[in-house]
Amino acid sequence: MNKGFLIAILAGLMPLQVLAGEYDISVDRVQIDTGDFVKEGIGYNGASPGPVLRFKEGEKVTINVTNNLDEMTSIHWHGLILPFEQDGVPGISFPGIKPGETFTYKFPIVQNGTYWFHSHSGFQEPNGAYGAIVIEPEGREPFRYDREYVVQLTDKHPHSGDRIMRNLKMSADYYNRQQQTVGDFFSESAEKGFMATLMDRMMWGDMRMMKADIEDVQGFTGLMNGKGPEQNWTGLFKPGERVRLRFINSSAMTYFDIRIPGLEMTVVQADGNNVQPVNVDEFRIGVAETYDVIVHIKDEEAYTIFAESMGRSGYARGTLAPEEGMTAEVPELREAPLLTMADMAGHMDHGDMKHDDMNGDNMAGMDHSDMGGNDEMDHSAMGHGSMDHGDDASLPEDPFYAKGSGLVPTASNGGKFLSYSDLKAQKPLYEDREPTREIELRLTGNMERYEWSINGIKYEDADPIVLQYGERVRFKFVNETMMTHPMHLHGMWSILEVGEGKWNPLKHVISVAPATTVYMETEVDAPGEWAFHCHLSYHAASGMFRKIVVEGGPDSTVAEGKQSGKQGGES
Amino acid sequence: MNPILKIAVLPAMILALSSGAHAAGNHAGGHHGGNVIGEPGNAGNVSRTVEVTMHDNYYEPESIHVQPGETIRFKVKNEGALVHEFNIGTADMHEAHQEEMQMMVEHGVLKGDHIDHDMMNMDMGNGHSMKHDDPNSVLMEPGDSREIIWKFTKATDLEFACNVPGHYQAGMYGDIKIDSTVAAKDRVEGESDSESVQ
Repeated sequence: MNKGFLIAILAGLMPLQVLAGEYDISVDRVQIDTGDFVKEGIGYNGASPGPVLRFKEGEKVTINVTNNLDEMTSIHWHGLILPFEQDGVPGISFPGIKPGETFTYKFPIVQNGTYWFHSHSGFQEPNGAYGAIVIEPEGREPFRYDREYVVQLTDKHPHSGDRIMRNLKMSADYYNRQQQTVGDFFSESAEKGFMATLMDRMMWGDMRMMKADIEDVQGFTGLMNGKGPEQNWTGLFKPGERVRLRFINSSAMTYFDIRIPGLEMTVVQADGNNVQPVNVDEFRIGVAETYDVIVHIKDEEAYTIFAESMGRSGYARGTLAPEEGMTAEVPELREAPLLTMADMAGHMDHGDMKHDDMNGDNMAGMDHSDMGGNDEMDHSAMGHGSMDHGDDASLPEDPFYAKGSGLVPTASNGGKFLSYSDLKAQKPLYEDREPTREIELRLTGNMERYEWSINGIKYEDADPIVLQYGERVRFKFVNETMMTHPMHLHGMWSILEVGEGKWNPLKHVISVAPATTVYMETEVDAPGEWAFHCHLSYHAASGMFRKIVVEGGPDSTVAEGKQSGKQGGES
Repeated sequence: MNPILKIAVLPAMILALSSGAHAAGNHAGGHHGGNVIGEPGNAGNVSRTVEVTMHDNYYEPESIHVQPGETIRFKVKNEGALVHEFNIGTADMHEAHQEEMQMMVEHGVLKGDHIDHDMMNMDMGNGHSMKHDDPNSVLMEPGDSREIIWKFTKATDLEFACNVPGHYQAGMYGDIKIDSTVAAKDRVEGESDSESVQ
């Protein structure tokens, strides 16, 4: 009873202490200089990337966004939990912001960590409209570090987003510069035999895919905090310091493998949520993900932050140095990985080619629907294990890649490469409970026509996914394509199934590798209408997108109080 | 097939662990006169008690001042939801111990929120087990309370630290400052030993 009384008093006092910050952001035409080329683009407050917005958990923010473009715009606060009208998706949350208009966002900050913001209109985001968000926690951080830097990555392309989309529609391999050549064919024939090589090529041809088709869009310059490799973004430190690096992947299309040769990194946060710390030598950051790492730098030397694209077609580079101008060696790009038969297994399962071409009888048995209701993340039970790929036995296994996949990352120094299986929540937000139902989402596409879809249906032809407030839904992603898709649910957390029960981590992007099945659960605790899509810009734009409608809500009196701002004794 | 594999792997791990304990034993025993971290203390010589609370993943306080020769009773409580260690040593000692702890994780002895005691106490013959029983450290599950009585000797770079993989790197360590003037000053001012660090 005493406790209740105390809480009542505190609740009465709280509003007096609520922080309220007001921020102004202008959306502008800007010049982007990557060092390789200069390109007109879109930025915030006159620059791309835009500012780092620093909020405090518990703060109520007011953000005035002024559109100085001659087209509609919007800002989506990526990963933030907020009322759906503030989420910034034109056509779902609001109509968008007209040229010359100022739209005022207002929402409470109810979380902490590293996030980002970007336009959700057209291809403004690939054209430069993105920035970082850092939210300081209400209590103390469960970390110790001496300084911190945001390290925001992107894949800046000399072509505009519209032009890239047109070219991809015209020819899906327009930007694939790593196509295999006749020369490759003969050298491979010498190694593996003519017939085997011919068969292999014919199968890949049948699927209208290339073995090297890991990145749809090559030919970009990797930027780190807006700087190209030659412009070398540099973060200073004093020897002996611990530095927190807040990595954000704001790329349109590019996954990066990140390492700092000579330093071990301790991953302490993923997608804004603290995780039980993991020491790694390298990690892969999917499009739209964030990872926070802490490094302890003991000596007075420079270190290269090297972010190599997953398909090895480009990189971003920066430096941690005790003083300006100091640099360290920049590693060579490693050899590009090639997709294997394992990576197309999901694709093959669905009748696009003849199974009798294959050297085994187990391909036809790879029915992912056998996995229904199985709580384990045991991908080895999916049947990939019986596929004989010959030379991949030495690759380490990662349950988040098809067994024998050509995409399984390895650390360049032979050390530890972070896996999704290593991610465990530091402090679970939700009680663990059984999901109320399961929704299967097959990630589908037709590479030749450059159409991407969910369950074979494009966004424009699809009904919304309807969820009920208060339920816990289990989503089953079955990737039937040969591309990796970073799936992003707005407004509610994605609880990634790593087989750790209540310690399963909270994320806002779930990366699904080719020919794998990945589960996530969502506590449906946010009423309204939300976007749910692949975060690869050109996949989302060509149809791998859904609207989510959450029906019902918290009891009506509370809901009314919320809307009129009368909640919680505010006066 | 699996059990055989496990047994083949375990002895290598025990050797590594016991060599760690041996090294710590040398420091603690003080037979060589040059011990750097101090030695287990006698309850009768305790001059004061320092309470240390473990959280996920940090300590309160994060800094302690002691005088040379002082014997302190550390009352350690794990108020976190994860397993934590309280270990007195130098940064180098902690680094070496982290490799052993990493092995404990890889072999399933040490889980995020509990310790597999059966596996840890298993008698592997030759007097070896995987017990984590160095006198300068305690490994604690959530809710555990333990005590260490420690006699500090001379000034050196000491830290108390949690060497559960990743925890030290994330910031779960505290500084032990051995300085007679500082300690005396603390006593006069009666201030808390804790210092706020980000």
